[in-house]
Amino acid sequence: MMPPTQRQRRQAVESDEDEDVHQRPDSPADDGNSDVDHMHGVERDETSQLIKKLVRYALACEYSRTPIRRDGIKERVLGIHGREFKKVYAGAQKQLRASFGMEMVELPTKDRNLLTVEQKRKATKSQSQKEPTSNSYMLVSVLPEYLRVPDIIAPSKVQSPDGEAAYIGIYTMLIAIITLSGGELSDPRLRRYLTRLNAAENMPSSNPNNENAPSEKTELVLQRMIKQGYLVRVADNKNAGDDDAITWHVGPRGKMEVDNEAIAAVVREIYGGGQQNEDLERKLQASLKVKERKPPRSAAANRAPATVQEDEEDSEEDEEPEPGRSTRRGRHG
Amino acid sequence: MEDEWEPPVPAGYNDANRAFLQGFMARGTLTFPQGQKLVAAILAAANGEPVDPESISQDAFANFVRTAREAVEPLDYDIRSSRDQLRNGERVWAFINAHSDPPTQMATTHTAEEVAYIKRLMDLMFDEYNTVRMEVMAVDEGQALKASRPKKGRESQHPNDQDEEDQPSTTTSDRGLKHSEVLSLLSSLVAEGWLEKSRAGFYSLSPRSLIEMWSWLVATYNDDSESAKDWQRIKFCESCKEIVTHGQRCSEMDCTVRLHDICQDRYWRTRRGEKKCPKCETEWTGDHFVGERAITARKGYQRGRGRAIGNGSGSRNGGRSDLEETVAAQQEAADEDEDMEEA
Repeated sequence: MMPPTQRQRRQAVESDEDEDVHQRPDSPADDGNSDVDHMHGVERDETSQLIKKLVRYALACEYSRTPIRRDGIKERVLGIHGREFKKVYAGAQKQLRASFGMEMVELPTKDRNLLTVEQKRKATKSQSQKEPTSNSYMLVSVLPEYLRVPDIIAPSKVQSPDGEAAYIGIYTMLIAIITLSGGELSDPRLRRYLTRLNAAENMPSSNPNNENAPSEKTELVLQRMIKQGYLVRVADNKNAGDDDAITWHVGPRGKMEVDNEAIAAVVREIYGGGQQNEDLERKLQASLKVKERKPPRSAAANRAPATVQEDEEDSEEDEEPEPGRSTRRGRHG
Repeated sequence: MEDEWEPPVPAGYNDANRAFLQGFMARGTLTFPQGQKLVAAILAAANGEPVDPESISQDAFANFVRTAREAVEPLDYDIRSSRDQLRNGERVWAFINAHSDPPTQMATTHTAEEVAYIKRLMDLMFDEYNTVRMEVMAVDEGQALKASRPKKGRESQHPNDQDEEDQPSTTTSDRGLKHSEVLSLLSSLVAEGWLEKSRAGFYSLSPRSLIEMWSWLVATYNDDSESAKDWQRIKFCESCKEIVTHGQRCSEMDCTVRLHDICQDRYWRTRRGEKKCPKCETEWTGDHFVGERAITARKGYQRGRGRAIGNGSGSRNGGRSDLEETVAAQQEAADEDEDMEEA
C-alpha cells in the first residue's frame, strides 16, 4: 500500500479536472465560480454541507442503480445554491475518492445512431456545436484492481446477494455478447443466445431464495436491464414487423460498468481455461483493444485481472460472476 | 491554490480502509467472523499471499471498524453495533444512515406501495401486536397478509403518531399489495437483512433494523408526554439498555422491567443471584416473555390450538422445543462477548 503516491496521483488528476473551478478566481464575473476565494469561514461551511449532501445523494442513487442526474443534484442537493454546481461537484468527488474509494463518472450520451430520425432532427435543431453531455453520472470504484475481488466486495445485499450475483452475471454476459457482436444484436439472435444460456423464458429473480418467486420472466429482467441503463432496445419503425426491426445495444451504465477489460475477463474465464493463452489474447486485442494481460506480478496480481469467484460449483452458464468488476461499482483502472 | 479543500479523513486512512468500507457497505452488516474474512481478504490482496481469517484478531477488526466509522461520521453515516437478541447474543456491526427514517431508507429499492406496506407492518409489530398483556413485536404470515391493504375508514391505531402518518390522502391512493406481492416482499426483506423469520414462522425486526431504527421506533411508538414509568411500546433491557423485542418481562403485568435472555445471567450475577424484579420486587419467574414466545409459550399454543392474539389467525404448531433449545443455548453463551463491547 502506498497512500502518499496514490494521493499525489489523485491530486494531479484533480487539478486537471477542476481547472475551471480553481484557476479562475480572478474572473469574478464568471458564473458559479466567483466566490471560490470565499471558501473560508461561513461560506466554506455551507459548501461542505452541500458537498456532504451530494455525497449522500450519489450513494443513495447508486444503491438503486439510478443515474445521478445533474437536474436531480440541483433539485435535491443544491436548491437555491444552483450556481455552485462545479465547486460542490468537485468537492464531492474528492470526498468520495478519499473516504470511499469511489468516484462519479459521467455516463456516455445516447449513441447518435440509436436515435430515431425524428429524435435526430430534434437533436440537430436544439444542439449547438457544443460537445454533447449526458449530465448523468454513476458511482464507480477507484480502488486498485487487486482490491476489487469478490471476497472483499461481495455482491450487494440489496434485494439479496444471490439475486444480485445472478443479475450481475447475466447482464455482464449479455453485454459481452453484444459488444463482441459489433455493438448490436438483432432480437432473434439475442433470443438464441438466451436459449443457450437456458434463460429464454425465465431468469433467477432478484431473490432466488424466495420460494414464492425463485425466478422471474426473462422479459421483466430485460426490462429492468433497460431501465437501469445496461441495455438499449431499439425498434426501427421503418421495418416494423420485420424480425430485424428490433436490435439490442449496450446502455450507458453497461458501457461504464462492463468495459472492454471486463468483457475480456469474461472471455478469458470461459475460453481461456485460466491459462495464459496467446492466441486468445491476440483475438481479444483485435476485438476489444484491451491491454495484453501482463504476467502476474504476485499471487494477488494474478487473481486481480480475472476477479472471478473461485468456487466454480454453481457457475451455471447464466450465473457467471462478473469478472474484472466484482461489484457493480467496479471500474477499470 | 490556497483554498485546496481537503475532505476530512482519518489519519493514515488508505486503500485497505476504503476496501473495507466498500465491502462493509455491500454487506450491510458484519459479525466478527465475517469481519475476519473480509479483513483477511484485504490483507491477502495487499500482500499477495493468503491470510487465515482466524488469524485476524478482535483488535485488528476493531481498528478497521473504528477507522471506517471515523471516515463516514462526518457524512452522517455511522457504524454501530448491537448484540443479536437471538443467536447467543452475537455482536453485529451495521453500516447505517444516521439521518433518515428507515422506511425512506428502504424506499430506495421499493415501490411506494411497498413502503406503505412496510409502515403498516411496523404498526402491526409495535402497536397492534404489542399490548400491555401481549408484547409480541412480531407477526406471523397470516397477520402480515392481513395488512396487505390499507385499512379503510378506521381511525388511526396509534394515537401518538407524528403528523405525517395516516393522512387520508395516502389511504385513498394506496391500493395496497396482493398477497403474492406481500410474500415476495417479506422474503426479500429477510434476504436484505431487515427482517428475521423464526422457525415458528414469525417475522420480527433484525439486529440491523433495530440498530438503524431504534430512534425512529422510539419517536414513532413511544409517547414522551406520559411519565417515564408508564408502559411504553418500545422498552429497553434493564441490563444492557438496548431495545427488547425478544426477551423476558416482569411477571407483574403492569411493571415495565424487561431483560434480554442473553443478558440475564450476567444481570442476576450482579444482583447476587437474587431473582427479583429490581423495580417492583416481584419474584422474577423468567416465563413471561417479550417476543413471539408471548404466544408460543402459552399452553393453548403448545396444544396446537394456539390462537394468535387479536384475530386468531396465527396458529402454528410445534416450534416450542426449538425455541427452548435456542433459549438454553443463549443462556449458556450469554456473556461470552464482554470484551467486544467496543466498536
